[in-house]
Amino acid sequence: MSSQSASHRVVERAVLACLCAVFAAATGIAYTYSLKDDLGPGAGFFPFWLGLIGAVLSLVLLARSWRGRTIGDGAEARWPDRPGALRAVALLGSLVASALLLAPVGFRLTAFVVTAALLVALGVRRPVVIVAFALAASFGLFHVFYYWLKVPLPIGPFGV
Amino acid sequence: MDTLSHLASGFAAALSPAYFTYAFAGCVLGTLIGVLPGLGPAAGTAILIPLTFKLDATGAIIMLAAIYYGAMYGGTITSVLINVPGEAASVITCLDGHQMAKQGRAGTALGIAAIGSFIGGTVATIALALIAPPLARFALKFGPPEFFALMLLGLCLVSGLAGRSLAAAVLMTVLGLLVSMIGIDPVRGAPRFAFGVADLYDGLGIVPVVMGLFGVAEILITAEQPLREVVRSKFGSLLPSRDEWARAWGAIWRGTGIGFGLGLVPGIGAIVPTFVAYVAEKRLSKTPERFGRGAIEGVAAPETANNAYANAAMVPFLTLGIPSSPTIAVLMGAFIVNGLTPGPFLFQERPDLVWAVIASFFVGNAILLVLNLPLVGLWAKILHVPFKYLAVGVLLFCLLGAYSLQQSVFDVWVMIASGVFGYAMRKLDLPLAPLVLGLILGPPIEKSLRTSLEMSGGDYGIFFTRPLCLALLIVSAVVLVGAALRLAPKQLREA
Repeated sequence: MSSQSASHRVVERAVLACLCAVFAAATGIAYTYSLKDDLGPGAGFFPFWLGLIGAVLSLVLLARSWRGRTIGDGAEARWPDRPGALRAVALLGSLVASALLLAPVGFRLTAFVVTAALLVALGVRRPVVIVAFALAASFGLFHVFYYWLKVPLPIGPFGV
Repeated sequence: MDTLSHLASGFAAALSPAYFTYAFAGCVLGTLIGVLPGLGPAAGTAILIPLTFKLDATGAIIMLAAIYYGAMYGGTITSVLINVPGEAASVITCLDGHQMAKQGRAGTALGIAAIGSFIGGTVATIALALIAPPLARFALKFGPPEFFALMLLGLCLVSGLAGRSLAAAVLMTVLGLLVSMIGIDPVRGAPRFAFGVADLYDGLGIVPVVMGLFGVAEILITAEQPLREVVRSKFGSLLPSRDEWARAWGAIWRGTGIGFGLGLVPGIGAIVPTFVAYVAEKRLSKTPERFGRGAIEGVAAPETANNAYANAAMVPFLTLGIPSSPTIAVLMGAFIVNGLTPGPFLFQERPDLVWAVIASFFVGNAILLVLNLPLVGLWAKILHVPFKYLAVGVLLFCLLGAYSLQQSVFDVWVMIASGVFGYAMRKLDLPLAPLVLGLILGPPIEKSLRTSLEMSGGDYGIFFTRPLCLALLIVSAVVLVGAALRLAPKQLREA
């Protein structure tokens, strides 16, 4: 088994174990809602059975994975090399930063900062290009959505 | 006659300047999405929902539907020119389409794809207009048990046909159903799985989840991979030669039949009709050895089937409220956002909307043909947009889309979490379509199950004493058992 394949198995089992735990917890929580009431099935009825079925299926797939069989469609996933992983992490980090900044700083500043940072992270080096693209992406998009399409977007300090 | 008069009024609406503009804009944006690497129809439709916020419900649905079938065509361009399918349904087009491009016949490949898509889409829409009204009238006779059985059948079909692992597909369906339970119980009104978090009382929004699962996950996966080179061969003529016409003509009509027929089956997915159409052409051909080496039938049949499927998939969606694919699930989300519930009642309550949307399919197919034949060169140039700029654009649209639906940062977090989850599922080869369908059908399937049991005083016999309900349950069981038997020998060999 290659190291890629071995690490794939580890991820596979970890995900299945997490899913199993989620389903088991959902079953337990659903049990605390009423499974049956005077009118018929209660609020916990459907999620209880879903949780139970999900937990059993997760265990079945976990067992299958331990026996060396793939759980998905059979194709072994290709995990990224270092530069590819860094690009993906930069994208994800930008989204997380956007979610953190959006309400306190407003859309325009958030989009400007995140766009500029992401372009630098993805290898753009010319400051003019970075600033021009970030301005268009932040203030331009804000103008289109806020003024033309009347989509309410958060505005930051000093009305920016 | 009733259908014709409804269709006429639908055309009057769809050809009005405003709705025509929305259809045109949708076709352009959809093709753009199909062309851009890293964005499929589901993700593209989801992230462009904010563009429709200012529109009325009819305009919004017309534009989003146009984005959907525009993206289905746009995927062909990348398949032919860079051997990378813009979306899953264009995978098979790579085989002969890219070979044609290498031989300097890219123009002909894209031309026949556009013509086939137009014919397939138009014929399928005519059939949709004829089939949908009687089917919707028939569905009006359904009670809660029949609706439960019907939705269960939809879930079984998606699970049974989604991938090569039935257990994995069912697991994803169950997960989608369970996630849809978050929020207020639709029958008793009590909160479930909310843990006192106010944002969870309304449940997880379909649009942020779909944006994450498809948009964010796709862009993360694309970010990892180096982009391929665009073939810079001569485009050649857009129109096929007389000999090529003769070969493609039959393939187009067979593709239409296959695409439409399979599109009526909920959950079959866009990829199956294209493969079936391709295999059928290869088997029927007197020179099957040409396939994979630039056979025009290898492009015409799957591309026609693809668009015929896209329009036929609207039949179970509009008449029964069952979305057949993740992209149609996104469309369903757009219906819900606009206060509409797809299904038989929609034909009674909003015939103006339904028929305007159906008529817009005809208009959109014509727009795509006119738009794509002369502009193929322009679309090809868009392929050269560097990924770094594209990624930033997609990311900002995801941010806008997730936030602006309810002006909620919580939805942005939901999208990010869904994106990470979708990325992991893609890496593990677990199908996402059953999860999305489960998420959407969860509340109505639970409501119909519980209402049925309330009707019968808790007696499960209600599902087995009503003939239609029983028939649907039997078909569901056959689908699951069939899928299990189909998969079992393969899995035994793997063991």
